[in-house]
Amino acid sequence: MSAADNKKSHYINDKEISFKFDGKKYLGYKGDTIASALLRNNVRLVARSFKYHRPRGLYTCGIEEPNGIVQILNEHNEPNTRATVKQIYEGIRVNSQNRWPSLNLDVGSINNLLSPMFSAGFYYKTFMGPKGFWKKVYEPIIRRTAGLGKPPKEFRSKSVHQNHNVDIVIVGGGLSGLIAARKLIDTEYDVLLLEQDSFLGGILKNSNKIKKINNSEVNKWIKETEKLLKASKNIKILKNSLVTSYNFTNHLIALEDKCAGKEIDKEKSELTLHKIRTTQTILANGHIERFISFRNNDLPGVMLASSFEKYIHRFGVVPETNPVIFTNNSTTATLLKSLIELGHKPAAYVDARDKNKIGAKFLNYLKKNDIPFYINSEVEGCDGNKKINTISIRKNKNKIIKVKSSMLCVSGGINPDIHLFTQSKGLVKWDDKLLTFKPDVPFQNTITLGSVSGNYNYEKTIDEIDNKLSFLKAKKIRFNVELNDTNNFNIKELWETKHEKKSNWSKSFIDLHNDVTTKDLKQAVKEGFDRIEHLKRFTTNSMGTDQGKISSINSLGIVSKILKKKISEVGTTTYRPPYAPLSFSAIAGRNTYEFYDPQRKTPIHYWHIDNKAVFEDVGQWKRPWYFKKFEMETMHLAVQRESAQTRKTAGILDGSTLGKIEIKGKDALEFMNLMYTNAFTKMKPMTSRYALMLGEDGMIKDDGIVCKFNDKHFIATTTSGGAPKVLADMEEYLQTEWPHLQVYVNSITEQFSTFNISGPKSREIVSKVFTDVDFSNENFPFMTFKVFDYKETKVRIMRASFTGELGYEIYITPNHALDLWKKIFHYGKAYDLVPYGTETMHLLRAEKGYVVIGQETDGTVTPIDLNFNWMIGKNKKDFIGKRSLTRRDTSREDRKQLVGIVPLDKSEFIEEGQHVVECERLPKPIKTPVEYLGHVSSSYHSPNLNHCIAMAMLKGGNKLMGRKLFVSSTYGNKNIPVEVVSPVFIDPENKRLIS
Amino acid sequence: MTQLLSSQGVDITQRNFQQIIIRGDGKDQFNQMINREISALPPSKNLEVIINDKFMFAKNSFDQWSLIYLVEQSYKEVLNFISEVNSKDDILASDYSYGQVYFEISGKNRNEFLNKLTHFDLRLKKFPAFSMAQTLIAKIDCSIYNLKDKYIVTCNRSFEDYFKERLKDTLNI
Repeated sequence: MSAADNKKSHYINDKEISFKFDGKKYLGYKGDTIASALLRNNVRLVARSFKYHRPRGLYTCGIEEPNGIVQILNEHNEPNTRATVKQIYEGIRVNSQNRWPSLNLDVGSINNLLSPMFSAGFYYKTFMGPKGFWKKVYEPIIRRTAGLGKPPKEFRSKSVHQNHNVDIVIVGGGLSGLIAARKLIDTEYDVLLLEQDSFLGGILKNSNKIKKINNSEVNKWIKETEKLLKASKNIKILKNSLVTSYNFTNHLIALEDKCAGKEIDKEKSELTLHKIRTTQTILANGHIERFISFRNNDLPGVMLASSFEKYIHRFGVVPETNPVIFTNNSTTATLLKSLIELGHKPAAYVDARDKNKIGAKFLNYLKKNDIPFYINSEVEGCDGNKKINTISIRKNKNKIIKVKSSMLCVSGGINPDIHLFTQSKGLVKWDDKLLTFKPDVPFQNTITLGSVSGNYNYEKTIDEIDNKLSFLKAKKIRFNVELNDTNNFNIKELWETKHEKKSNWSKSFIDLHNDVTTKDLKQAVKEGFDRIEHLKRFTTNSMGTDQGKISSINSLGIVSKILKKKISEVGTTTYRPPYAPLSFSAIAGRNTYEFYDPQRKTPIHYWHIDNKAVFEDVGQWKRPWYFKKFEMETMHLAVQRESAQTRKTAGILDGSTLGKIEIKGKDALEFMNLMYTNAFTKMKPMTSRYALMLGEDGMIKDDGIVCKFNDKHFIATTTSGGAPKVLADMEEYLQTEWPHLQVYVNSITEQFSTFNISGPKSREIVSKVFTDVDFSNENFPFMTFKVFDYKETKVRIMRASFTGELGYEIYITPNHALDLWKKIFHYGKAYDLVPYGTETMHLLRAEKGYVVIGQETDGTVTPIDLNFNWMIGKNKKDFIGKRSLTRRDTSREDRKQLVGIVPLDKSEFIEEGQHVVECERLPKPIKTPVEYLGHVSSSYHSPNLNHCIAMAMLKGGNKLMGRKLFVSSTYGNKNIPVEVVSPVFIDPENKRLIS
Repeated sequence: MTQLLSSQGVDITQRNFQQIIIRGDGKDQFNQMINREISALPPSKNLEVIINDKFMFAKNSFDQWSLIYLVEQSYKEVLNFISEVNSKDDILASDYSYGQVYFEISGKNRNEFLNKLTHFDLRLKKFPAFSMAQTLIAKIDCSIYNLKDKYIVTCNRSFEDYFKERLKDTLNI
């Protein structure tokens, strides 16, 4: 007894294809899946189970497969691929998983011998001791043995994303989906039809249940329909596209396999992740057959009956010419007829139903064809070594008879495939007649058609579709079907058969993927896990990658019996996306590596590269961190060199990333007074001011320099990362809190490149660049700005500094930026002008005691904490955060305040982020809390002072001046003794600044 | 004008335009002021785009307009226009001329191509000809103008390299 071909199948190409499974070469046909090709070659053992390493064969013919999960070696070692879905192509190399050293002889199968130990909740009950064993012994062993396939060694970006906006999505290109689509041809709706298979037809091609449609051959009707759909101007078909998620607001995700049946092109994407936004979703995604639990229902050779039927009709392979068929419902009749029509004879037909339900017509058919049949009977179990040899059938009154066969086709009923419906938050209800859950109340614009809605009657399909699509402007179409068998679905409840205990290793499985047995369910209930969601997690039932597609209803049936409740009272667990596993790389699409995050570059970027800049990411900006003078120069050396040179002659920073906002309107002054803590009323035109912006909680949110052209026109700078938020806040306040103010704000960040030149020689350099400008102290004092013509544009120059040195900020349009930058260097060469990066900027500002928002502040710091009282316009009527600054908490004297600290031993270095404490040495172990005074927010080695300087936020810091404290260190228990000092380390008199 | 890509029914050209962002109330005085300077009334309908040989004028939001010169102007004249507009207290005009980059995307497959980079609904019934939108394309803020047979997509200049790479990648992969 072995497999045979069904030459009548039209869907498999005659072209032979060679492929390898576990290193052995086989032949299949183009269009075969790995599973159908293996069955064609009589390969039954394809996998080892997850926990017990039991031999497993192919159980289904589709995405619901719990066993046949394989690794594709020539596709970057892609693991956990469903053999029942993946199509073969010439040269594909496939390996089985979760076995060592071979599939046939797997050492891991010792777990099966030990299986009586591995009861439900095994992991929760064991590995509790001895102390320390979990981390060092148990966890490493479990991790090594867990999982199925081996992950790919390298990451490969293999998918692209495609967005769709349509009016109607039809999920499923089977009978109902095609009828619905035909009704929508050339209507006003944009329609997307998604089919997971390589061709349309679904059930029409998977069985011969329907003989004719509109008096034509089924295949002809499908071809005609596809032709009409393709010719229509409003319908798009996507094949090989599996809908994996149905999210809120009618948003669906589908994964398209663009390389189905062919070798992947390593230069091209092989998957497309479709993101679909629709107004209406039609679910016509059919049903899934379920199994029945019995003794050794996992032996290779046990297969779902409809899958067996699908292999015959869809793939043209009869997996076994003389199988036993075991059913509790009417759907298996067509399988039996298919076998007989092909000249094969089932070894037995076992039906749990009585003769009334089976019907005289069918019983006569069995008799006429001399098929051994057993009604009111059930399969007790099956036996064999790595494959079925004998099947035990319990006839009436517990009489067991044995039948020899290598395959057993099982049908326990069919479930509407409600996964997507429940993902969309639709409610389901239990149907006592169909013995399954079916859609009840949709949560979104969802329509279910055909078997997914619980309608198993093909003759009534057209009425259902006409009725449910009546609210659309859909067309009337002609549709009548001729069936191969009567279409009155009936079923007898049967979840598990009673089995004779043969040994400790005979098991009745409820979840094949996770190796959960019906005994585990019973034990879990006994131990108190009588809620279905608890039971699921305790036993891991239906938590595998197949989400229990063929078994979850069975487990509800078994549990309801134990609890003596109705299934509708037990409820169902939640089906969550994705419907079937999809790889992380499919989700990531092209948003990886260089496209992971958008990069922003200044107009000077390539000059920086030419001058050996090392970049750091500041938000999305690429900013020079430091410039390497020579290859071996470290960051420390570069920063020391850049800092020293800037204070000696001059240095320049590309500050183009600074946020810039233009504010204008007749109420601009009032607006600025409200947005910032500073008072701008008395500020003279063409002057600038360092300004602070607070949140409504009084905490510092951003800072910058505000330039005042006049009372109606300002330009404010922001931090590089804070620009979008500050602009958004300004807009929000204008539109919601102060709509009476006539003010407009525009972002001009990109419109101006900004250069910060500072150092004692900076005046001389800029004087040579802008020869028409008088940069003298008298004409161009500190914190003033001027606008000049420069070439055919305008340049704004502000006397300001973030280093404590004489300095200028130059703002120029980007089309002239690089040219001006180079010109500055041309004239700066005589003064050893040095470009510096953000690290040097931080060091220089720290020497001067300037804070950085986000470094000294963390969302809990007020201006008072930083001793910025002078920046608060106390006479102002209001500004954002004003009231919060008067709260008891914000005016506490023991709040963390900004101080400077220096090590007493000048050779020592203080690390950023370390704690400041009062004790010299930390006790080991620490038994009582050590009082924490604060933390080091910034720390650098100052080349100008030749020792470490640091800033810290300390409790009551202002009162700690001169105190000796200690800073923790990553090296040992000994803390570094430090002195609390003023945070201004250089030029406290501002002589350099205003020189 | 630089031709960047042309393949699979998609043509992409980089254009050099000059642009001004204008904020105002859109009332008579505002309209007259603009009309006096460029002999055209600002579009009054939200997201509407008007176009002539010299420029494209779009209403970005209830109080914001984009004036994009399709033919290069003397930059001094552009700045003078901005100064002139800004002489009115209740209008803000900001120069965006060289802070933005512009891409012209045409070809029969332009929608499908762009929908690899944006979820935005480009169907004519949702995004009619001569309308504009501000949306995310390739994860960055962009403005897109539907000029019937082509789109103009603009983004901040700092994203230029990234955006061009994304366009190339999307067409090639």
